[in-house]
Amino acid sequence: MKKAVSMTVNGELCEGEVEPRTLLVHFLREHLGLTGTHVGCVVGECGACSVLVDGTLVKSCLMLAVQGHERDVTTIEGLAKDGALHPVQEAFVNGFALQCGFCTPGFVMAAHALLARNPDPTEEEIRHDLSSNLCMCTGYVQIVEAVKHAAERLRQ
Amino acid sequence: MTSHAHIGRSTPSKEAPRHAAGRGTFVDDLVRPRMLHACILRSLYAHARITTVDAKAATELRGVSGVVTPEDVKRLTRPFKPGRYAAGLRVPIPEYGCAVDKVRYVGEPVAIVAANTRARAEDALELIAVDYEALLAVASTKAAAAASAPLIYEELGSNVGWQGHVAFGDVDGAFQRADRIVRENLQIHRYSSTPLEPFACLVEHTPERLTIWCNSQSPDVIYDAITEALGVQNVRVIVPDVGGGFGQKIHLIRKYAVLVALMAMQTGRPVKWIEDRSEHMMAGGHACEQEFDVEAAVASDGEVLGMKILDTDDVGGAISTLTIHFTNKLNNLFNTYKVQHLRLEGRSVITNKCPVVPNRGIGKPGMCFVWERMMDRIAQELALDPIEVRRRNLIGADEFPYTTPNGNIHGSGDYQMLLNKALVNVDYDEVRRRQAAERENGSGAEKMLGIGVVIGVEPGGRNAARDMAIFPESKRMPGAGGVEGAKVKLEKNGSVVFTLGSPSCGQSHETIASQIIADALGMRPERIAMSGTFDSALSPWGVSSSNSGNNFHLYDVGAVHGAAHRLRNRICTLAAHVLGAELQSLRIEDGVVYAGGASAADAAAHDASANTGAAEKDRVTFAELGKIAYSNQAQMPDDFEGGLEATYYHSHPHANPLMLPDMQGRVRAQYTFSSAAHAAVVEVDRETGRVRVLRYVIVSDNGTLMNPAVVDGQIYGSAAHGISVALGEGFVYGDDAQLLTLTLLDYGKSTTLETPRIEIEHYPVPDPFTTLGQKAAGEGAAIPSPAAIASAVEDALSPMGITVRHLPLSPERVWALIQEAQDA
Repeated sequence: MKKAVSMTVNGELCEGEVEPRTLLVHFLREHLGLTGTHVGCVVGECGACSVLVDGTLVKSCLMLAVQGHERDVTTIEGLAKDGALHPVQEAFVNGFALQCGFCTPGFVMAAHALLARNPDPTEEEIRHDLSSNLCMCTGYVQIVEAVKHAAERLRQ
Repeated sequence: MTSHAHIGRSTPSKEAPRHAAGRGTFVDDLVRPRMLHACILRSLYAHARITTVDAKAATELRGVSGVVTPEDVKRLTRPFKPGRYAAGLRVPIPEYGCAVDKVRYVGEPVAIVAANTRARAEDALELIAVDYEALLAVASTKAAAAASAPLIYEELGSNVGWQGHVAFGDVDGAFQRADRIVRENLQIHRYSSTPLEPFACLVEHTPERLTIWCNSQSPDVIYDAITEALGVQNVRVIVPDVGGGFGQKIHLIRKYAVLVALMAMQTGRPVKWIEDRSEHMMAGGHACEQEFDVEAAVASDGEVLGMKILDTDDVGGAISTLTIHFTNKLNNLFNTYKVQHLRLEGRSVITNKCPVVPNRGIGKPGMCFVWERMMDRIAQELALDPIEVRRRNLIGADEFPYTTPNGNIHGSGDYQMLLNKALVNVDYDEVRRRQAAERENGSGAEKMLGIGVVIGVEPGGRNAARDMAIFPESKRMPGAGGVEGAKVKLEKNGSVVFTLGSPSCGQSHETIASQIIADALGMRPERIAMSGTFDSALSPWGVSSSNSGNNFHLYDVGAVHGAAHRLRNRICTLAAHVLGAELQSLRIEDGVVYAGGASAADAAAHDASANTGAAEKDRVTFAELGKIAYSNQAQMPDDFEGGLEATYYHSHPHANPLMLPDMQGRVRAQYTFSSAAHAAVVEVDRETGRVRVLRYVIVSDNGTLMNPAVVDGQIYGSAAHGISVALGEGFVYGDDAQLLTLTLLDYGKSTTLETPRIEIEHYPVPDPFTTLGQKAAGEGAAIPSPAAIASAVEDALSPMGITVRHLPLSPERVWALIQEAQDA
């Protein structure tokens, strides 16, 4: 028995029919083709699937698609505006804050959510917040620096 | 001939913009028409005989298109050839894509299902009935080697799959001369680099060919596996973006490639399989659990005269990777030391655990751990300073190029300087003063301060002939030395595209190759792009076309440099003809070839005259040359072959001497030797056993740096992994060989909270033998970092008389060490 869902994703109204057990991340990836949101563990430990739901950071593998019904979702694809990367994305690029890139969309979303809540975080606060996400390549140093630079840019 | 306008600078990343925008293309992002989704049924038993497999109910489930059982696999595929890591296997043992008669570790693949959705395929797995006859499982090398132990591979007659040794110099003589013999038992546990993207395959089979999109680090392994197991001749292997490799994606992934390919052939439809996290944790491959019984023969001044090591490797249920953690110790057998006499004896013991695979250094972190733990132990026993003991034994800066007793040639380096700089950067004397004061006034009783300083090498550029030093009876010579290609092409519009022979897993191949091409051709990196990721049908590839063995710096850099210079010669030949100038008089600046005295400063005038259509005789742009080369034969020299592209296959020109083992078994296990000193400052909580890393300082020699920011990232990442390994991440098995750590949380991967803010200083000494003086960079800092943490923790605990012998130093282990010391 499929369920109809409808949600605003990156400002666009999206509709679909899903099995009730379909995860939000699979709806985004497979029904909407928004493949920037990645699956690294599917149990909420790695953060690669992080998105915003009604402005709150959510691991989309821990949420059913039907729970996203009539809600507002932002994915990594929704951050760039008019072809220009968001300052958080730009800071990751300029700061070499990624290697293989698989965790990157999740980290960018987590950093974006942090800076929306706390525009001037200390390094300790950044490290505390980003501990929701795992990266196996970078050792986090350049990620933390990139978040600091993004914060600076966004405050200007 | 060319200036380095781009090499050596942190030029912007080519790969980062697409990944930051979520535009990376990984296997799971690909969709083919009528594609099915596969799931794998895995063994719940660590050791059992498979009696029957009944897949009828699964086959009949709506939406299911195919089920492949062990019987099908045995009937329809051929076993793998043993492959590059199976040296030392006494009896050939057939290994298939899945278990066929017995299961030998939890998670071993048993069957595969394909259905219209992933969820439906998972439903079908539950309908497959497998009858197992459970067998006693062995979960330790001791249990496995016992005479009464159940045999995991009956054909071998023992669970000790291999034993042998290498010896260099006069070991007995060294031990006779020694003032003292220092003995120790050391252990490293099981861990993995756990790439965030697990294994992934998508296979499409048509009458014309079989195409596999696969996140393999070594596409040649997949190519060979499909050809050998399925008898398919027309195979195309495509590697899109890869979400981290670290060695994990070299070997065991071939099993799944064959199973998914077989399913695609059986169903006649494209099939995608994406491994999940728990599957990867139980069956994706682990770094080997290693135990070392070490004896060092030392003089009273701290000189190490000789060493004897017995290395016991728990290789899990592996036969095709039986000896890799032993053979890789040849790569850093003497670490940074000038010791001349050494015997390394090895035993590969098969247990009912996950097979071992390459992983950020393969065996080398173990070898470095042995040396660096022993240096500290020798210092303690002789009441010498641990830094001075190291200094006493380091290869001197004036001794390079230095040939180790087993034949490795360290091209360049300055190990004393690395150590000196690390001591300065970590403020060693000040830490010691603070430590003494805290111990004196009792303020350090609850939070105990410790410092450890170690040194290690990062070998690069694989030479598979190394294994012949250990297995001279090997009938088939493994690929000796290395071969790897690159292709560079000037397009009609003056831009440049290139193809590499090896895939990237995040090492910035496109960025760095573009820097090299930009300097070779005299143009901006912005006008250079990689034509696509690895594609066996299009990429020039050879035995070294693998993201392994730290190959990129040697083979890819050499290949792309060679191809770019070949193309430059062709560009200049055409330009000389067009301009009517002497070849020697040409210069290239920003994609324009100038003859004689003309220069870029005149470019504005050139643009103005171009607008008016005035003829220019002293310069020609890449775009103009491109148009000629592809569309205007009349403007080419008579003997000029149309088109402007060049392919170059690089083999290390200095691979000899010792590419093949000599009579003494000396062979170059790898070709370049980066080095680094690591200094860790830690604080151990006496009450909880928790270790906090206060500072972590690295001074690193990676030869000529191509892109410093990229190398920084690789050092940060590999150090963070080694630190996390030392502090507790790892696989834990129960006595019944059931894996207890199935998730990243249970496994204990460090996050931003536990990972220190690593500090790096580069001290590059160019390699005299490589194309641009470069040496390996990538996995290096994962090699000495476990030893650095062990050294620092032991130092912190030294007032309690505690010695650190075993990793990991999880809070539980450290707490237990403290309790034992207090009870005693």
